[in-house]
Amino acid sequence: MISVALIGQPNCGKSTLFNQIAGYKSLSANFPGATVSYTKGKTYIGNDLIEVIDLPGTYSLSWYDDAEKETIKALFSSDIDVIINIVDASTMIRSIELTLELMSLGRPMIVALNMMDEAENKGIYINIERLQDILGIKVVPIIAKKGKGVKKLLEEIKNAQNPRKRCIYSKNVEKEIKKVTECAKDNIKNVQWPCKLFSIKAIEGFGPCEKFFEETECKPLLDNAKNALNNGLDIIQERHALCMNIFENSAKVKKIRKKSIESKIDKFLMHPVFGYVFMFAIFILIFYVVFTGGVPIENLVIKAFDKIDAYLASNIHNKLLFSIVKGGIDGIGAATGIALPYLFPFLFIISILEDVGYLPRIAYLMDSTMHRMGVHGVSVISFVAGYGCSVPAIMATRILKSKKEKYITAFLASLVPCSARSIVIMGLAGYFLGYMYVMGLYAFNLFIILISGIILKKLLPGMSPEIILDIPPYRLPTIKTLLIKTWYKIKDFIYLAIPMLIVGSIILTLISYYKFDSYINVIFTPLLTGVLGLPAAVGVVLIFGILKKELTLIMLYQALGLSSISMVNSVMNPAQMLTFTIFVMFYIPCVATIAAINKEIGTKGATTITFATLVLAVLLAFITKIVSPLIV
Amino acid sequence: MKLEDGKKNIKYKILSIEGGCRSKDRLIKLGLIPGSIITIERSAPLKGPFMVDVSGSKIVVGRGIASRIDIEEIF
Ligand SMILES: Nc1nc2c(ncn2[C@@H]2O[C@H](COP(=O)(O)OP(=O)(O)OP(=O)(O)O)[C@@H](O)[C@H]2O)c(=O)[nH]1
Ligand SMILES: [Mg+2]
Repeated sequence: MISVALIGQPNCGKSTLFNQIAGYKSLSANFPGATVSYTKGKTYIGNDLIEVIDLPGTYSLSWYDDAEKETIKALFSSDIDVIINIVDASTMIRSIELTLELMSLGRPMIVALNMMDEAENKGIYINIERLQDILGIKVVPIIAKKGKGVKKLLEEIKNAQNPRKRCIYSKNVEKEIKKVTECAKDNIKNVQWPCKLFSIKAIEGFGPCEKFFEETECKPLLDNAKNALNNGLDIIQERHALCMNIFENSAKVKKIRKKSIESKIDKFLMHPVFGYVFMFAIFILIFYVVFTGGVPIENLVIKAFDKIDAYLASNIHNKLLFSIVKGGIDGIGAATGIALPYLFPFLFIISILEDVGYLPRIAYLMDSTMHRMGVHGVSVISFVAGYGCSVPAIMATRILKSKKEKYITAFLASLVPCSARSIVIMGLAGYFLGYMYVMGLYAFNLFIILISGIILKKLLPGMSPEIILDIPPYRLPTIKTLLIKTWYKIKDFIYLAIPMLIVGSIILTLISYYKFDSYINVIFTPLLTGVLGLPAAVGVVLIFGILKKELTLIMLYQALGLSSISMVNSVMNPAQMLTFTIFVMFYIPCVATIAAINKEIGTKGATTITFATLVLAVLLAFITKIVSPLIV
Repeated sequence: MKLEDGKKNIKYKILSIEGGCRSKDRLIKLGLIPGSIITIERSAPLKGPFMVDVSGSKIVVGRGIASRIDIEEIF
């Protein structure tokens, strides 16, 4: 089976193409760095099964962050037979730089020229034949978003040839490169890179290549070349000029006179005052929409399930059997009726934000605030993703450069209430106490994140680099891609959380049926009842919540021994509800998140965050317990 | 003159980027190369970042980085 890797610069449409080829498996979004790990898929071309690999975008083979490194590692380590180099036709000059580097690998490749629609809108018309001749590689124009040209591209895979040409610099530059290359050829072993490319990168000062030269006889030659070539700048400038040349020779640009809608929108959304007003308005609107949409559905479903429960009670007379059946049915009901009405719109709206290209703009607006927390604007992408699910939020730290900003971002992103925790904020606090409490809780959460960030910045040593971000154009997602994406994000809940919920509900039912509660509650009483003034029974719920946060609210009323969520206010007073919500908002991330933190910043970081969030939750919940009787 | 001190909507040429940092690498890949022509589109308040236009791409760079990029007005 031949395997094909999709390689291209960030945000050029690799994942979109991948999803067209192999079915929706890789999340695409309109900001650079949406994909941070590889995804494999399969498809048939005629009768042949081929493997396709989607990889994080990379600006060049000399990586900058961990996501890019992943791509280079995959490119050199796994057995990739054909490279599909995706080139964004609307930013062709910059994108061709990567193509030139890939050409020097001397492996079968095809260029997929994507975003042909956007190039045209920008007035760029590319002569495919010409470009093909200049590059010496097959070029297939595509519009990945609409699936145009994809079939043709797939057909070309089996004809993929090694590139016929190489990037040649001016005589003088070539001479300097050659000296280094020849020495490296004889003296430096265990390098998978083509020797010339390797030497060029070393001259340009790319650390991982340079370090091979340490303590070899080539080191003085490298230093010489660096001196002669202005620390590699001469090479860079020549290559850039070459790319411009390629563009000018293969494309015609018609000046478009009308000022693009884009800069008009940016004038508002990135305005030094209104930009912030809009940003807050947008987020307030999101919470408002999710909340006002969710509550009526929650009401409706609760009523329906009350009826079903009553029906069961009068028809099943064996008490144990009744409890188990009721546990199972309530679990399903609560999942579809209470969780989904909040989860679905939340994830849907976050998908919209990701796909229109608003996130990089928030990164610009928030950069200065983020500096106070020891990170820069790009971390905003993690935070916003965090309102959906903490796991991708943590993984998004891969596009950050320094250890310090990764750590702080992972820490703070795990404090952002994910959509599962929002179920409690909206479905409990909001449902019983009202909308203002929902907004208050989100605002309070932001405040705590800010304070925690300021503290972390002080505690952690080291510098954080600054923001460098390519701002993509606004793009209109189709409802279909949004729905598929939302389904993709929510799938896990349906397949994993619902079965867990049913099991959890049954366990809770059995616990109370056999009257184990008193034993279990003994463990939780000191902290929960003693310190926080909550019913001890919520302890089990909080434990299940660590497994999967979506379970928290749904299991709450069962644990309290109630037949419906609408009765929670008969056992918990408003102050207790607030205390519980605050606790849930901050305490220990779910296991999947802990695993992600472990992977991104190590075991020590994961352990610290787990304990720190627990302490923070207890502290804040305790304060809430004391203060809240005064306000509710 | 530094990029940090540049004015909006005027064409500048990048003269040099102070070395030493890895961020230089990223800048170069995004087209901010000595010799490139840029315009500053906007800057965020409270010492926020700059957004510049380089051959049609919009790039946001932090203020600290902007203070390390030398530019010159072109006519
Ligand atoms: N107009 C247009 N938009 C496209 C096309 N292909 C992809 N897009 C959009 O471009 C954006 C980026 O697409 P992705 O597939 O996530 O890009 P990627 O290359 O995987 O990006 P990273 O994973 O960040 O490297 C999305 O908003 C897509 O909808 C196209 O042919 N035309
Ligand atoms: Mg991608």
